Parts: sequence; structure tokens; C-alpha cells
Amino acid sequence: MDTFGLKIIASDKIFYEGRCRKLILPAPDGEIGILANHENAVIALGVGDARLEHEEGQWVEIALGEGFAEIVNNRVTILVDTAERPDEIDVHRAEEAKERAEERLRQKQSTQEYYQTQAALARAMNRLRISQRKK
Amino acid sequence: MANIKEIQTRINSVKDTMKITNAMYMIASSKVKQAKKKLTDTEPYFYGMQGEIARILRHVPELEHSHFDAREDIPPDERKIGSIVVTADKGLAGAYNHNIIKLEEELLKQPGIHKLFIVGELGRHYFSKRDVEIASQFQYTVQKPTMHRARNISSVILEQFQAGELDEVYILYTRMENSMLVEAEKVKLLPLERESFNPGTLPLNMYREEIVFYPSAKSVMDIIVPHYVSGMIYGCLVEAYASEHNARMTAMKSATDSAESIIKELSIQYNRARQAAITQEITEVCSGANAQKRKK
Repeated sequence: MDTFGLKIIASDKIFYEGRCRKLILPAPDGEIGILANHENAVIALGVGDARLEHEEGQWVEIALGEGFAEIVNNRVTILVDTAERPDEIDVHRAEEAKERAEERLRQKQSTQEYYQTQAALARAMNRLRISQRKK
Repeated sequence: MANIKEIQTRINSVKDTMKITNAMYMIASSKVKQAKKKLTDTEPYFYGMQGEIARILRHVPELEHSHFDAREDIPPDERKIGSIVVTADKGLAGAYNHNIIKLEEELLKQPGIHKLFIVGELGRHYFSKRDVEIASQFQYTVQKPTMHRARNISSVILEQFQAGELDEVYILYTRMENSMLVEAEKVKLLPLERESFNPGTLPLNMYREEIVFYPSAKSVMDIIVPHYVSGMIYGCLVEAYASEHNARMTAMKSATDSAESIIKELSIQYNRARQAAITQEITEVCSGANAQKRKK
């Protein structure tokens, strides 16, 4: 099976660099799958989980923050603010963050604060979902 | 010649000061190491982001987005200019704060309605005494820059830019070229400029690859631009943090060095004074003894 080059860059490190066979990404309106020789595209990514098959039958799950993916000449570059493996997720911290965000959502806020809280809540819930699925 | 006791007190006080400066030197040097590591960690993201915007603009030159709007119809003295000024929380860092403040003063002389967003306690103190508008809700420290803080700052800035409360946004920070050369620098954050991403125009006959934007070019730019701005702010904060501690380190190093040389000089003076006192005492004792001898 054909492979393509994949590079996942988070804001604090290069998360993954290597070949990949299949990749499933969270687009704002649902998941999007990428195989080798995909047409050139730039895809906006929402908060969600990505899965990549780096070798036959071996899938890796990644919790992604907001960002975008770019596909040019059979090379995929993903730039996101956070990228974590399920076992790197701190469940307690995510739960606390979720509670904090829910608490804040109940209060009156400016529009800007509202969007911030909503984004924080989405990140926390995504982390929790992925870490729970693993068990 | 000063008396022995005075010199002794002075030596002790210089020694105490030296202890403090030396400790600050150690702290600053360990923080520089941390900051430098952070800087190298975030560099790929930072440059990757810049590269992506450049690439998208190169392939889709006709792309329009509100963040590229220079609002040229607004005359220079009515333009609302926001500047994010990154200073330190504390002084004792050589010319670090002074350079940033000087750069901001230059910007303030230009026409336009200025508004300051100050990161760092020292700059806030300085500019609160001056006759400029400061965003009061903008209280961030410069210690341990995080992506979270950068995101907060950029959301404030972007919101005001979109609402038309700001027409231009600059960030003033100190860039660390290497550990010997640090420089205060002014960078335009908004509106984004095509030229800064694409130095030199492309030949017309060059093959442009077609890129599909999913779901749409606008939604992709909507995500990329805020990320670019917050990434940029984060990079600047980390850079400034590293330069601050680097400046403090050098300042404290030279303070320790000069304390050492003062101590050296003072101890020579002290020894001379002591020697003179001893000599005088001996002379007194001898002459006293001589006088007693002659009496007999």
C-alpha cells in the first residue's frame, strides 16, 4: 500500500514525523479520511481526535486541538496548538477544566469570554472522550 | 585616609550586595536555559505557520480576508494604533526595559490615536504616569509565557481589530539574536501584509499548484489567522522572556565583577590603614620606651 509523508507540529513540539498509510482527521463538519496521493488541499480542523495507521493494522489515536492540515505533493503537514496521545492525557486535569468551563458558562460573560470558554470546554471534553475510549 | 572601621563596614556591605547579585545571576542563568529550550521547542510551529500562510497566499493570490484589510481610507492622525509592549516585571536588567520604552516612545510620537497593551509590571508603572491610553483590563505578567496567555492576548486584540477599535497593531519586544546581541524590535501584527510573507514577486509563468480549501477558503483562513497571531505573540513572549533573563544575567554578572574589584581595592586600602596604624603604634611604644630609658 502506498504511503505518504506526515508531519504533525504542535505549538510546543514536533509530535510526529514519518510515513503514514491512512489518516482520519476531524474536520469541522465531520471526519475526513486521507490516503496516499490525495489531491492538494488545506483542511481546517476542529477540536477532535485523529487516527493514523502508520503500519499495517497499527492505529494510533491522537487528541488534536484546533489547527489545520495541508496536503501538497503527497505530503501532509498538520499544524495544531495541541497534540496528545491518549496515555498522555491527564484525566483529572481535563475533568477540572471541564467543570471550570461549565461553571463559567453558567455565568454572564462577554461574547469573547463565551467563545473562549466554549473552546476550553470542547478541548476538555475531547480529552476525556479519548482517554475513556482507551479503557 | 579613612579609618579602619569605616573601610571594614564598607567591605562588608559590598560583600552583602555581591551575595545578592551573585544569587540573581545564578537564577537568571538557569531561567535563560529554560527559556532557550522553550524557544527551540516552539520554533517549528512558528515558522511552519508562517510558511503555510505564505504558501496559501502564493497559490491563491486572490484570497481576500478581513485581516488583510489595511483600511487605507482612514487618515494617519485618525488611525487607532494599538501596541503590545513587552517589558519585564522587575528592573535590574541593564538597559533591557529602557530600550523597549525608548522604542515605544518613538512610536507614540507618530500621528494616530494610540492605545497601549502592556505586558509586564515595569512598563505599566512607567506609562501610567504618561498621558496615553492604557488598556486597563490587560493584566498579564511576563513570567513563564504560556500558549494559554498568548491565546488570551490575541483574542482581545483580534476582537478589537475586527470591531474597528484598532486599525493597526504592533508588538514591541526584545529579540535575542544570540546571547551577546539582544535588540528591541517592533513588528506589525495586524493587518497582515502580503509582502511580509512573500518577499519578491513570483515569475508569472511559474506553475501554481491548485489547492482545495476545505470546507472553504474563508473558514480555513478564519482558523489560521487567529492561530498565526497567537503563535506570533507566544513567540514574542518567549523571545522577550529569554532576552530579559539574558539581560539580567549580564547585568548581574557585571555587578558581581565590579563588586569584586571594589572589594579588592578596599581591602588594599584596609591593609594599608592597618599597616599604618601598627607602624604608628610601634613608633609610639618605641619612643615611649626610649623616653623612659633616658629618664633613668
